[in-house]
Amino acid sequence: MLSTRVLSRSLFRSARPKSTTFFTPRRMLTTESIPASSANSILAAQRLVRPVSPHLTIYQPQLTWYLSMTTRITGVALSGVFYLYAIGYVLASPFGVDMSVSNVSKKWSELNGAVKTVVKAPLAACFSFHFWNGVRHLVWDTGRELTVRGVYRTGYGVLGLTALGTVGLLFV
Amino acid sequence: MASTLRSSAARRFLAAKPTSAIRLLPQTRVAAFHASQRHQILPPGPQVVHGTVNDPVPVPTPNATHGSYHWAFERIIALGMIPLTVAPFAAGTANPALDAALGTALVLHSHIGFDACVTDYFPKRQYPKTRSFMVWLLRASTITAAVGLFSIQTNDVGLTEGIKKFWRA
Repeated sequence: MLSTRVLSRSLFRSARPKSTTFFTPRRMLTTESIPASSANSILAAQRLVRPVSPHLTIYQPQLTWYLSMTTRITGVALSGVFYLYAIGYVLASPFGVDMSVSNVSKKWSELNGAVKTVVKAPLAACFSFHFWNGVRHLVWDTGRELTVRGVYRTGYGVLGLTALGTVGLLFV
Repeated sequence: MASTLRSSAARRFLAAKPTSAIRLLPQTRVAAFHASQRHQILPPGPQVVHGTVNDPVPVPTPNATHGSYHWAFERIIALGMIPLTVAPFAAGTANPALDAALGTALVLHSHIGFDACVTDYFPKRQYPKTRSFMVWLLRASTITAAVGLFSIQTNDVGLTEGIKKFWRA
């Protein structure tokens, strides 16, 4: 872009007449008229090529926002499993698929113990974490522990309780 | 002279159609002004300009239903879910009333949570169609899930007993 500009500038200079008597200045540039109505579309197009402000990846991983993010992820995971089963329960019966608790849990029980643990452990972890961090949020909602110290203290507490809860749920 | 050139170049760029404007300005040129590479996570969505660029940001009319009542309602459900998730399993017996309360709270809590995600990840300003599609998809899903849960509660073993069965299978 810069080189083009330098080139066209030098071309412009060389094309410039020494005296206006014999030469009329040659215009190297053309103009295009744009209707005023296209201002918004031009602006929108211009905004699309703006660089995106850096986010997410530039922040130092910290307990504060990692736990906040994990609350949403675990909640979506748990509710997702619940929704999938409940919706499947409704939609599958017209197709003759037996989604009843007894049938699906029988199929589930026939699986290898290791497979069951691999599925159950994340679910237990998701539930424990979402439960304890939910309690932490409710504590914050009462105005307590709203300090950097409090946030870290309760954060580590939640992690500890989540670990205990996960192991506990797996042995229930 | 330089200003004539610059404004002319700018005008030529601006005169281009939106699609060709993107091609006119490849990523390398944008990156030339920045030390770090351009991250493509969450790329900018379609840009919409309402009114003129000098319009102030519209201030939404205050509404307690969308504000404090909603906030309190969410907290009441979340608070209620602490005993409701623990009690049926701790007691060991499936009480239909407790089961119904847990089921209702679970559906509402899930719906509010999913709704917050839709609001956050599908901005109305940039994706009005996707947003309304997601909102209606969520509503349909919640109603279907509620119907499914109702049928589990009434025709099947019930929520608490069902979860127990799966967990201990």
